[in-house]
Amino acid sequence: MNQVKRILLLVGSAKQTISTSELIGTYLIERLQSNGYETETLFAHKLLKSNSWERLLSSTDRADIIVIAFPLFVDCLPYSVIKSLEQIAGHRQAKSELKEQTLVCLANCGFPEQHHNDTAIAICRQFAREAGFKWAGALSLGGGEAIGGQPLFKIKRTTKNVMKALDLTAEAIALGHPVPQEAIDSMAKPMVPKWIYLLMGGWGWKRRAKKNRVLKTILHRPYEG
Amino acid sequence: MKAVILNGAEKDDRDIDNISTIISSELSDSGFEVQSLDLHEMKIAYCLGCFECWTKTPGECRHNDDAREVVRQFIQSDLSVLLTPVTFGGYSSNLKKGLDRIICLISPFFMQINGETHHKKRYDSYPHIIGIGVLPEEDKESERIFTTLVSRNALNAHAPSHSAGVVLRNQESETIRENIRSLLDEIGVVQ
Ligand SMILES: Cc1cc2nc3c(=O)[nH]c(=O)nc-3n(C[C@H](O)[C@H](O)[C@H](O)COP(=O)(O)O)c2cc1C
Repeated sequence: MNQVKRILLLVGSAKQTISTSELIGTYLIERLQSNGYETETLFAHKLLKSNSWERLLSSTDRADIIVIAFPLFVDCLPYSVIKSLEQIAGHRQAKSELKEQTLVCLANCGFPEQHHNDTAIAICRQFAREAGFKWAGALSLGGGEAIGGQPLFKIKRTTKNVMKALDLTAEAIALGHPVPQEAIDSMAKPMVPKWIYLLMGGWGWKRRAKKNRVLKTILHRPYEG
Repeated sequence: MKAVILNGAEKDDRDIDNISTIISSELSDSGFEVQSLDLHEMKIAYCLGCFECWTKTPGECRHNDDAREVVRQFIQSDLSVLLTPVTFGGYSSNLKKGLDRIICLISPFFMQINGETHHKKRYDSYPHIIGIGVLPEEDKESERIFTTLVSRNALNAHAPSHSAGVVLRNQESETIRENIRSLLDEIGVVQ
């Protein structure tokens, strides 16, 4: 009898509203759920806050596929995700035998060029190597703020290439294959033209600052020596 | 001239503490006034990604914790040394908990550098950056990732110059000292 396959999604964004990481991660694991996978979602910042590393380690041990979906923070993974990876690697390096488990990463960054994620993805690959996971690859999304907390299917015109990338990835990893190049290329396509994203981004900062009555002091320097 | 060492080692990591002492003495000999921050001792909350440090309390994070000291030391120094056990090619979580909180030092607004988007400056000047990673043994891929990461950070943090390299835990102190000297020479702040 076939055993149920399990997938663990680790979300690396601590946003209080729904994040791009959570949206793309959830979309992917829902596709796998319909392929018979059992899914579980953990948030790295919640594990960090409650020091629940045992929970992370037992969920990791049970999973066949681990998906890490994270925002790019200062050119690499956020603090809570690095802390999670340190815990997992320490736990696995102490084991004499490891079952075959696959790692997939979904990186998204704020700048419109997705290649800002390259170093973070190299770190994920290196983690897979050191912690004994099979590296299936990564999808890299630029201009991640364009999703703006909307479920992907609700803003199809913006996210059609994102959804295609995730659909192709779900199909491939359900068959034990790596993330296909076609999926990587589809995710790399800009959701909106760069100049529009930058224009909207600049307006967005001003609008928020104005609402908070700090537009005039938006470039304040509280740490000037 | 002021320098700050952001030490991302775990508690009781004798090798890295020893390396930190060597860095301090090299910097003092080069005329720097040195401050060292052991991040494992500091209470620093994770970044919520709310961007209120740009749009609600400009230039300052809403969390009033030890990250404010990291941010202050970083921007008020001429040189910032990022010292860390190389962790999957990148920074340790201890170092990263401090670095995630420095985005309040830049402007929310965008600029282009070599056709790539970055944020504009908030302050007139930013520190030079030296990244020093510590590995148990040679690992070319980890070293490549680490040096790339430091140069990407330097670009985003408007560092006037930067250098990065890896030292090994079991290296002789003299070899480590020489490596640190050449990283200092590379950034060109020391005559
Ligand atoms: C502390 C911090 C650091 C960031 N650093 C980068 C960066 O180095 N490069 C980049 O392109 N975006 C950077 N961003 C932007 C986020 O990656 C971007 O907003 C992302 O879309 C957020 O994804 P989420 O909704 O999953 O949290 C940073 C954001 C924060 C809060």
